[in-house]
Amino acid sequence: MSQFNIEFTFDGEKIDAITGQSVAAALAANQRTLRKTRFNNNERGVFCGIGVCFDCLVVIDGITNQRACLIEAKPGMKVQTQVGSDA
Amino acid sequence: MHNVVIVGAGPAGLSAAIAAAAAGAPVLLIDSNPRLGGQYWRLPSDNFGDQHDQHFDLDTGLLLINAVKDRKEIEIYSGAQIWSATHKDGINTLRVLHNGVEKIINTGNLILCTGAYDRTLPFPGWDIPGVMTPGGVQSLLKGHGVLAGKKVVVAGSGPFLLPVAAGVIKAGGEVVDLLEANKSYRWLLSPLVLLENVSKLKEAFYYIKTISEARLRARFGQAVVAAHKGSDGSLESVDIATIGRKFKIKKIRNVKCNVAAIGWGFTADTSLAGALGCKQSVAKDGGVVVVADQDQQSSIPGIFVAGEITGIGGSELSMAEGVIAGISAAKFVGCKVEVLKAHRKRRAKKQRFANALIKSYPVKAGWISWLNGQTVVCRCEEVSVDNLKYAIDELGATDSRTAKLLTRCGMGLCQGRVCGRSVVDLVAAELNISPSDTDRFSAVNRPIISPIPLGVLAKGE
Repeated sequence: MSQFNIEFTFDGEKIDAITGQSVAAALAANQRTLRKTRFNNNERGVFCGIGVCFDCLVVIDGITNQRACLIEAKPGMKVQTQVGSDA
Repeated sequence: MHNVVIVGAGPAGLSAAIAAAAAGAPVLLIDSNPRLGGQYWRLPSDNFGDQHDQHFDLDTGLLLINAVKDRKEIEIYSGAQIWSATHKDGINTLRVLHNGVEKIINTGNLILCTGAYDRTLPFPGWDIPGVMTPGGVQSLLKGHGVLAGKKVVVAGSGPFLLPVAAGVIKAGGEVVDLLEANKSYRWLLSPLVLLENVSKLKEAFYYIKTISEARLRARFGQAVVAAHKGSDGSLESVDIATIGRKFKIKKIRNVKCNVAAIGWGFTADTSLAGALGCKQSVAKDGGVVVVADQDQQSSIPGIFVAGEITGIGGSELSMAEGVIAGISAAKFVGCKVEVLKAHRKRRAKKQRFANALIKSYPVKAGWISWLNGQTVVCRCEEVSVDNLKYAIDELGATDSRTAKLLTRCGMGLCQGRVCGRSVVDLVAAELNISPSDTDRFSAVNRPIISPIPLGVLAKGE
């Protein structure tokens, strides 16, 4: 995809995206682990892609439990790996 | 105000909206996606150019979407979340979050077209990043122009695997393996049903052409039975088994890939209908669906249902049901309009095709033998097979509801949408009984339709 027009960060790293893309879609190319589970500290990423499974949870601008597959990437967003419930 | 409220803007909801509006009823169309079209005609924002490549029949979708947008009688709430629905004295109350504001909608005339999502089965490693549903891979492609990974295994059962494999190929990815767990595309053995549904045959050949041009051949009687992660914690390879008719493993090979798209048909999203009290039934494949009469009316007068929630049948059946639901709802609010014989005939034809399909792609109980004690069943609450067995064998649970209470299996954020159906099967298998309809219903009915921030509840009455 060539026409990247926005930037946000994931754990401090710069990520390119296109207006209209979800956070999960923008990350899909190189970042498959989006969170670590609360009990077993296991990696999780996008599973259902349509907001059903709640596995792609990330922290966005300090707010936990955000479904990366549903939230549109916006310029300057600070996205972070969610560790446990991060509450 | 609004005479007919429609929930869901996929093939069924769009068709219903147009039919009701054409009959003279003003419509409010509520949809959770940012753009109309549902999962089938999922469209990206305007920044992605032409999307026909990722669709078999986008023109029909665009026609319906534009017709809905053009009609003044149809008001649209896109990106709206319905988090609660109740029914009392003929009035349905929906609590909707739209643009950050809660709206309360009271209506006596509702059409539910809430669709379906991928049916998944647990197996060792299915929670590793890179293991996805076919619908998830397709949503990234259709909705965002993104390929989930370069080397993809597409597996499970059912005709939906074909468009997903074709979509990956068209986007420049490699489908390493395309695996159908059942023995063949058996619906090809129903020539009569196919002959009256030529469009379906065309659709299948459209995907098969792309797949064979990539020199890929589907393998039958094979399934992904385990996934393994690499040093970065994400998917590195899958174990592919040759399986028998009952899905028992015969032999295993290991294949490198970075995405495995695995699905076993679909589960109807009946949450909203369930919360309102619409009568449900258990379909032949064990999935819960909403009961509809000849006019697509549910057991509650004034609540109509159409599309996948009445039984998995694909976009064309959904459209046929949507039209009937739209007309029936318009008639219910006093419009002078009747469902025509031609409408019912069209629906019956599509229904025969759907019936043939569901028979052709059974999910056999042998999948349970792929699991081991540590296999995660409930992804949200990280409940394992051993946790479930402990609840049954040591704590005395004799049904899936009790096992759920004792383990929190199915009580996490997704509220059992992903594991609920499998848990019912696993618990019944452990007890050596057949699951009851009550077990099936309790696995899909939930008081909160969609999780919401507690602040919203606190602000309410």
